[in-house]
Amino acid sequence: MSVQTSTAGRRRESRAPATARSAAPASAARRRRRVDPIYYAFLFPALAVFTLAITLPAVIGFFYSFTNSVGFGDFEFIGLRNYIALFRDPNILQAYLFTLGFALVTVILANVLAFALAVALTSRIRFRTTLRTIFVIPMVISGIIIAFVFKFLFANSLPAAGQALGIGVLSESILANENLAWIGIVIVTAWSTIPGAMLIYIAGLVTIPDELYEAAAIDGASGWQRLQRITLPMVSGFILINTILGFKGYLNAYDVIVGLTDGGPGTATTSIAMSIFKGFTGGDYGYQMANAAVFFVITVILAGIQLRLTAGKASFGA
Amino acid sequence: MSTIQPTVPRTDLAEAAPKKRRSGLGTDRPNWPLTAILIVCSLAVIVPLLVTVNMSLKTTAQAVDGSAFTLPSPFSLQGFAEAWQLTNFPRGLAISAFITLVAVVGEIVISSLAAFAIVRNWDRRLFRWSFFYLLAAMFIPFPVVALPQVKLTGIVGLDNPIGVAILHIVFALAFNTLLFTAFLRSIPLSLEESMRVDGATTWQVFTRLIFPLLAPMSATVGIFAFLGSWNDFMMPSLITTNPELQTLPVLQQMFQTQFSNNYNIAFASYLMAMAPAIVVYILTQKWVISGLTQGAVKS
Amino acid sequence: MSFYQSKREVIPHFSDLIDAFNREQSDFTYVHDTSTNLQAGFVRANPPDLALQNYNHEMSRFMERGALSDLADLPEAGRIRPEVLELVDWYPGYENRTSVIPYSVAAASVIYNKQLFAEHDVEIPTTWDELLSACETFQAADITPLYGTFSELWTITQGLFDYVVGGLIDSRDFFARLTEVGEDAGPNSEVSFQKNMLEPIQQMLELLPYFNKDARSRAYGDGNTAMANGTAAMYLQGPWALVEIEKAETDVELGSFPLPVTDDPEDRKIRVNIDLSLWIPEQADQHEGARQLLQHLMLPEIQFPYNELALAFSTTDDAPEVTDPRIAEMQPYYDEGRFYMGPSTLVPPTIPFGNYMQAIVLGAEPEPILAQIDSDFARLAYRA
Repeated sequence: MSVQTSTAGRRRESRAPATARSAAPASAARRRRRVDPIYYAFLFPALAVFTLAITLPAVIGFFYSFTNSVGFGDFEFIGLRNYIALFRDPNILQAYLFTLGFALVTVILANVLAFALAVALTSRIRFRTTLRTIFVIPMVISGIIIAFVFKFLFANSLPAAGQALGIGVLSESILANENLAWIGIVIVTAWSTIPGAMLIYIAGLVTIPDELYEAAAIDGASGWQRLQRITLPMVSGFILINTILGFKGYLNAYDVIVGLTDGGPGTATTSIAMSIFKGFTGGDYGYQMANAAVFFVITVILAGIQLRLTAGKASFGA
Repeated sequence: MSTIQPTVPRTDLAEAAPKKRRSGLGTDRPNWPLTAILIVCSLAVIVPLLVTVNMSLKTTAQAVDGSAFTLPSPFSLQGFAEAWQLTNFPRGLAISAFITLVAVVGEIVISSLAAFAIVRNWDRRLFRWSFFYLLAAMFIPFPVVALPQVKLTGIVGLDNPIGVAILHIVFALAFNTLLFTAFLRSIPLSLEESMRVDGATTWQVFTRLIFPLLAPMSATVGIFAFLGSWNDFMMPSLITTNPELQTLPVLQQMFQTQFSNNYNIAFASYLMAMAPAIVVYILTQKWVISGLTQGAVKS
Repeated sequence: MSFYQSKREVIPHFSDLIDAFNREQSDFTYVHDTSTNLQAGFVRANPPDLALQNYNHEMSRFMERGALSDLADLPEAGRIRPEVLELVDWYPGYENRTSVIPYSVAAASVIYNKQLFAEHDVEIPTTWDELLSACETFQAADITPLYGTFSELWTITQGLFDYVVGGLIDSRDFFARLTEVGEDAGPNSEVSFQKNMLEPIQQMLELLPYFNKDARSRAYGDGNTAMANGTAAMYLQGPWALVEIEKAETDVELGSFPLPVTDDPEDRKIRVNIDLSLWIPEQADQHEGARQLLQHLMLPEIQFPYNELALAFSTTDDAPEVTDPRIAEMQPYYDEGRFYMGPSTLVPPTIPFGNYMQAIVLGAEPEPILAQIDSDFARLAYRA
């Protein structure tokens, strides 16, 4: 959060070659400043790799979305037909609804819990370091392995408990239940992503000086009020980051879903990412590329909306 | 201009009051009820892990009944031995390690170089736009470019761990460059200037001054890179064609039907796959928080 | 040089064959690949060099797009029986190429327990009504008449659906006309699922009460075990299941009879499919080596024993008759051409047909689902 202009001005004047000394105005010196060629070399690897590995495939893929390609062999141009068919396809619609709904629920749940944990872990508690370490561990384990462990628990331990307690709905694995499987996925995804969000909140919370709280306490504010009036506004920027990045991450849910249900039962928990990937094992290459293009646009729009709603109001701590 | 220390609390408000230890909302004595609640909540994390360890130590005969909470009797390392053999754990470990190493080193080097170039040439359009160009990538999710990437990597012969490592580097570029640029802006130019006056080239400035100063952020970037690469499932499963060159997470999925009800083997396998990451994290956790504080706050 | 073959029941057999061939000759080293994803291999431009796979719609996609090389110049191509070549044509080819060489034809019908039939004095049914009354008899005697494994989608489509519906309608004609209708498929088109398939499916559902109550959570392995143990009388599965059932080494005696679906015994037909066929992709690295292996596999001394082992029919003019009692009853049907290809194999794989059938079998109303299939079909035609 620092401003450089004054330093920059100074630097340029001191580095300008013999000609443009203090007499020349800063802007003219800036335009004539030679860029040390090695900077280009520094920048080049990043740009090259990025363009080859992301921009190029994106453009190629976009091109294929207008064809009926199955990923290999002959294909023809079919214009916008893939896109039109996409909007009429109930399976695709279902995947979007599931993914968006799941992402929304999870981002709220995960952030509320992560924030609560962050607040708790920056309070005066015993065993703080140990507890912090424990709560971060889920972030460190691979998503798919977490999914397998929970799949076991959902399929064996939970039903056993359900049967013992006589709760009908829990007697079978909830993952095999078309209407409840998504809950399992939300739980596991939240479990594995809360630590990340929590760490960011902690980073924000530690910048809030104690004195603010003390002053408020002296004025008679309750714990709740202190939370609302001091804490939340000061970390609003972090809340923003977490929700934007979190939501985008959940939209791309894949690992956890593959491990828990593989999109099932039927297609109840198939996420957009999963249906896109089927495009190259299921021969629907062109079609799923159109799906991917639409997905990209939706991602950007949603991120844009989120930024708009909170523009200017976000603060990043003291 | 600010220095590279973490943001300090506002001392103007402190005045006569002695600086208290960071305590957030609490008061002087430890908040026992909160501690207790936290301990109970931590069970949500501990229980699945304990179940994993528990099941992995059973004999196959006992493990197949699928009850998570009975203790192993007898204790047996049979699960580990079989998992080791069945999934060819050493090979998976080597592949995962290879990809992670390449990705971590690549991410740190490429991003720090690019960030340095960008920050020092912010006035030039090329560099400024490059920054936003790279940043835009944060919003390109893998599924969007996955299909063409699979095709391309196949065609150029990168449908293997090397290709996976390169892709890891690319997808992390945006975030890493962001972190490095933020961090770099807080390094005072005076240090650099005095080096140049002594005749140092830009390369020397980078290697002798900047890169060492970037160490805390490099550590943070490195750790996130490690975790991201080591635990990744999506990319290796789609990009690498040869099943013998697969990473640990993908191996767990490939062997699901072979594990079937032999839970001790399955959980032993999961445990062995998780362990390196947990160990690395525990050893390096302090850099994570400090890095986030400095980097995230500043950006 | 990669040889791709993934039919699980016979993987060990082919592994041994490949090892033996590797020892016999030293021009090429062949590697037996059983698990990579074929479609992905094509997308990446590195498919296997030679494949011996099930001839189904996924395969036809490779053919249609010209991804398979022309094998017409091989002498083996000329030795295939005309009825089998007919079967090859059920899927559209590419520019008159000979894209595949059929290797093994599997004939499937109802697997039945001879001992149970004898014990309960039940004769092999030749009409639909006789079938239903046979089921009644078994049910009254507390024996599962038909064993279902509905948790695995393919067992519903290739068994229950294909046998009943395949026997009732002319699948080839139906799908050809439906493809012509293309984008207009729907309630008003000349042919459609909701119009032509409704009655056959409703007839199919008449069999539901005779299946085991826990069919929805049973899998292929459970079905095989049940038949091996003699707890069920009939099983709607193909000869591949017989290979699995054999592994349990019980002394059950099994046979096969075609599922009667009408009142006329003359209408009875068996379901066939080209279980294995050989093909070489255009993009194969090693055409020479691939062709060498292909010709080796087509040698009578290699092909005939395989088909005997797999309880299938060989495809060449000089193919011997099958002698195994479990499938011998089907030989005359095969010889006389009284067979059909399973209609489920003619549905494009992008339509989740298995899921739809499973939903119907588990209790959903057929009409809306059939309408859904029609609209899926129309949409697919629109963008393909």
